[in-house]
Amino acid sequence: MYKPSLGDRLFDILNTLIMLLLFVVMVFPFLHLINYSLSDATKVSGKFLLLPRSPTFESYITMFKNPNLLHSIYISIARSVLGTALMIFITSMAGYVISRDDLIGIRLFRRFFVLTLYYSVGLIPSYLLVQKLGLTNTFWVYIVPGAVSVFNMILFKTYVESLPKELEEAALIDGASDLYLFFRIIFPLSTPVVAAISLFSAIGQWNAFIDTQYYNAMNPDLFPLSYVLYIALQSINSIEQFQMDKEAMHFVTPESLKMAMTVITVFPIMVVYPFLQKYFMKGMLIGSIKG
Amino acid sequence: MAAKLYKQRYLYLMLAPAVIAVLIFHYIPLAGWTMAFKRYQVGLSIWDVPWVGWDNFKMFFVQSKDYIYLLRNTLSMNLMSIVINLSFGLILAILFNEIRIRFFLKTIQTVSFFPFFISYVITYSIANSFLAQNSGILNQLLVKWGILSQGLNILGDGKYAWFLVVALEAWKSIGYISIIFLASISAIPTDQYEAADIDGASRIQKIWNITIPNLMPTLIVILILNSGWVLNSNFELYFMFTNPTNWERMEVLDMYIYKFGLKQLDYSYATAVGIIKTVVSILLVFSVNALSKKFTERSIF
Repeated sequence: MYKPSLGDRLFDILNTLIMLLLFVVMVFPFLHLINYSLSDATKVSGKFLLLPRSPTFESYITMFKNPNLLHSIYISIARSVLGTALMIFITSMAGYVISRDDLIGIRLFRRFFVLTLYYSVGLIPSYLLVQKLGLTNTFWVYIVPGAVSVFNMILFKTYVESLPKELEEAALIDGASDLYLFFRIIFPLSTPVVAAISLFSAIGQWNAFIDTQYYNAMNPDLFPLSYVLYIALQSINSIEQFQMDKEAMHFVTPESLKMAMTVITVFPIMVVYPFLQKYFMKGMLIGSIKG
Repeated sequence: MAAKLYKQRYLYLMLAPAVIAVLIFHYIPLAGWTMAFKRYQVGLSIWDVPWVGWDNFKMFFVQSKDYIYLLRNTLSMNLMSIVINLSFGLILAILFNEIRIRFFLKTIQTVSFFPFFISYVITYSIANSFLAQNSGILNQLLVKWGILSQGLNILGDGKYAWFLVVALEAWKSIGYISIIFLASISAIPTDQYEAADIDGASRIQKIWNITIPNLMPTLIVILILNSGWVLNSNFELYFMFTNPTNWERMEVLDMYIYKFGLKQLDYSYATAVGIIKTVVSILLVFSVNALSKKFTERSIF
């Protein structure tokens, strides 16, 4: 029945070409990094790589021999897991409570939270506060200031409001307490929004480096992986930093080490991303309907 | 009332951590704004330093003249980014919508959305391996092919700064923005397209007369939301890419606040500039919202 016209067919061809170009632009940078880091670095300078050349894991072996790198991975994982867990705990509880219209003072509480979305406190006042609280040079500076996210709270509230009201009413009539209602009924039913918020938060934590620059730059024990990569990118000659042995010098250059380290940093995101993408989209859509 | 309060005690208990956290991290630091009206000195308590009225604000606008290049850079890069990102995101969403093969669509969407999730450290590392003056592939190839005799200093020369920032932001975010538009496309009632089919409309005609007009509300909402951001820059991007050779075209308000505040420890001045930025941002959102309400009858408040 539907017979594509010549114009429609031309459109399809053009569209496919644009998509292929987009694919290359989005994928090639990562592909190149991976291939470079897996190549014999002395042979690949200034070449576009579609495949590794004389494949070797030498760059990675050199990197993982460095105990500082492993420690920074540990810090990154710790902040991602703890930071996300605490944020979800505090934010989802509050998100549920501000969805309850019967709470005394609900309008006041909603205003109290929403108002903060309209202004930013600014770098210096925040910095001085964190300093006053004694959080500088501690691991907690990664976790505590982000423990509540008003934006996520509103996402959670919007989601809870989309659940059938009868559910809550029935539970309350059966004599369930508000705590029971939240932890046993509302929270388990909110998996989609919790998953989406958690993923965004965990990736944000994994990527974060600027808070280290502000608050923990003096304390190498607290450097997350992203910050170690930042330092490596800053130094022109990072060889000393990675305590390279002379043997490895044949296959490894500062350039290939930087690329290996970039791949190590981006690897966890790359691996989980395709499986979790649908949650991201869901979370974003909840957000965009609201906004 | 008291009985009801008691009955709701668990709810208040559940709300308490968030209230305390927001109070501490969003409201209490506002007291720090008073510092903008003082002359802070390292080592002294905020309470012991003298009040100076509007001096810090005058310094920014009258004495230093820094606002001229800062506003030029901040506004140019942010406005260009908004225009490029929204128009590319919109076009991309329309093109995505015209792909008939599900698998191809899924793949291309997944791939284009990915850069949104990587940090600016990674972005910098990638940019460095492609664009660095001597070791970057692009320049090495251009020199090898004889197109240039010497590599372009894209990361270090102010000439390329704006282009670089706009291109990076687009690479990172058009996939993300296109998904928001794609969601609004999927909300368009299909009978509009069916009616157009019966009238014998071509695909281009359908895009032009149905899809695009239906996307306008979304576009306006995103524009209003973004208007508050024209003075706020992606700090991490500028932190990574600003350097001593390109700062004149690259430095934005947020970097300036960082430079004066945390590097030169002039807390009072940096706070004053921060306040100016916040106040102007709020005014912008409300005025764009009001204008939009007046002319398009759409608004977010």
